[in-house]
Amino acid sequence: MIEARGLVKSYHDGEREVRPLDGVDFICEKGEFILIVGRSGSGKTTFLNVLGGLTRPTTGSVHIVGKDILALSDAESSALRSRTIGFVFQFPGLLSTLSARENVALSAEIAGTSAGKSVSAERAQDLLVRVGLREKVDSPPSHLSGGELKRTAIARALMNSPSLILADEPTADLDVDTEQEVMELFREINCEGTTIIMVTHNIDLASYASRVVRMEKGKLVPVG
Amino acid sequence: MFGLIARSIIHRPVRNGALILAFAFIAASLFSGHYLLAGASDCVKSEIAKLGADIIVVPQDYTADSEAVLLRGEPSTFFFNNSVVPQIINVSGVEQVEPQIFIATLTASCCSLPVQLIAIDPTQDFTITPWLEANQLKPLGQDEIIVGNKIVAGVGSNLTFYGHTFRVVGKLDPTGTGLDTSIFLRTADAYTMADESKENAIKPLVLSRGVVSAVLVRVNDAAEVTNVSYRIVDRVPGTRVLTSSALVSTVSDQLAGITQILDLSALVATLISLPLIALISLMVVNERRREIGVLRALGATRTMIFRLIIWESVIIAAIGGILGIASSWIVLMLFQSYIAEVTRIPLSMPVVSSLVSISAITFIVTVAVGGIAALYPAVRSALMEPYEAIRSGEL
Repeated sequence: MIEARGLVKSYHDGEREVRPLDGVDFICEKGEFILIVGRSGSGKTTFLNVLGGLTRPTTGSVHIVGKDILALSDAESSALRSRTIGFVFQFPGLLSTLSARENVALSAEIAGTSAGKSVSAERAQDLLVRVGLREKVDSPPSHLSGGELKRTAIARALMNSPSLILADEPTADLDVDTEQEVMELFREINCEGTTIIMVTHNIDLASYASRVVRMEKGKLVPVG
Repeated sequence: MFGLIARSIIHRPVRNGALILAFAFIAASLFSGHYLLAGASDCVKSEIAKLGADIIVVPQDYTADSEAVLLRGEPSTFFFNNSVVPQIINVSGVEQVEPQIFIATLTASCCSLPVQLIAIDPTQDFTITPWLEANQLKPLGQDEIIVGNKIVAGVGSNLTFYGHTFRVVGKLDPTGTGLDTSIFLRTADAYTMADESKENAIKPLVLSRGVVSAVLVRVNDAAEVTNVSYRIVDRVPGTRVLTSSALVSTVSDQLAGITQILDLSALVATLISLPLIALISLMVVNERRREIGVLRALGATRTMIFRLIIWESVIIAAIGGILGIASSWIVLMLFQSYIAEVTRIPLSMPVVSSLVSISAITFIVTVAVGGIAALYPAVRSALMEPYEAIRSGEL
């Protein structure tokens, strides 16, 4: 499903060269739930964003479902992001001007799916019901709690039925109960066949994953 | 996408309200200048058309007075010998002529009000007689007058000039020109009034037989108005000709100062606003970096982001443009008479085609300013790397 080879990402901070990624090789099979753990600044978020085509590596290659994403045009990589990948960020990333339902449906609008607006709105509502937000479909993000915002973001990531979900610290800032609810939701999504790659600093979440890898100083190392 | 733009505009009411006002000011300045120019120009053309003449021949030394009578209705008395009439008839291309006599009334007790009297000969007239026929009125009889629209006297009432009393039998439609403050009477009655004025008026009216003030000329269909005008001036010494285009040009010259000021203020407003609007757009884009990053992560292409920023600015400019055009139109209509009085130009609402083209041009210019102002922020947003945008922005 995903194959990354020799990924290096470097930039200069004044005189000093910083290498968030320093020669990463990575393979992810379809249907895996991979947890990438590591300390802050270890390069795990950068790695996730390179996999998602949100930033380009300095050198190396990334293939997703057989496509070299670094060779794609802007339109092609945008289409890949909207149809194949669902993102869940550390912050909810919801547009404050839209309701929860509109935020979820926005993915379909951007993807330009052939289904009409009412069909998109219906699917968005179904997804919000699925993540337990039946009563909040028309609420703006300012009226949602931290856990509800995360669940809305997950619903948005699922809107275009992606085969891959990239989640960056989705449980950060959540209390233990809410964290568990969110992780159960991810497990459920994974059980339905969606590949999940999740970045977290919380090793306690390892039980939800099929594989755990550690990012250390820009390199991936297997865990136990 | 438009739903997203609409929400974004509504979500920032103060800043977008200020931007809308800036665009409205640009549109109002542009629209007002060209409205005045077109209004005055259309008004003059309509007056000439109403007079039914292609050319008005006046004494050479009284060109300015003639224009003042026709354009602003400023009362004036001047004559030249009526021997010019047969000379004008003989000019090739002239189909019909109508001599008129202009008499200014007095601000004295012998006159009801100071206006311009225009004496016509009903047997030669092609100005008032067709209007009377169209309104199913009888030809002007003895001591009967037709008054301009702004003359405060109803049909059936009496008005006295130089001690001679006339009866109002008709009122012309408004023209926005000197015709509105003019009164038409028969030449025969004008002579009687002049004769009686020696005894009845404070200042007698000196009106010799054998004089005229202006000769209205109709050109035959095969002839060119300009060529006939040149021939009249060439063959009839001591005359000047007024044509529709010459009067429009006079009015345009009078208006030049005002339109230049309005155009200049639109230009200054644009030059000041453009970088300000661009700066505000850039600030908004910077504030929305994370939003842009999220949209890119959700699959929005660079083109989509570019369009989103441009459309938002264009829509704000369009709202401002419509507001500016509508508000200045209302103000210009409400204060039309006042503006005409202050600027001393004939003014009416421009014809629909002029109005549509002025509004369309103003709208297009305003929207273009909006688009240009957003160009740099839009390009910057489109080129932003999604990850950088997400990392550095706020939502």
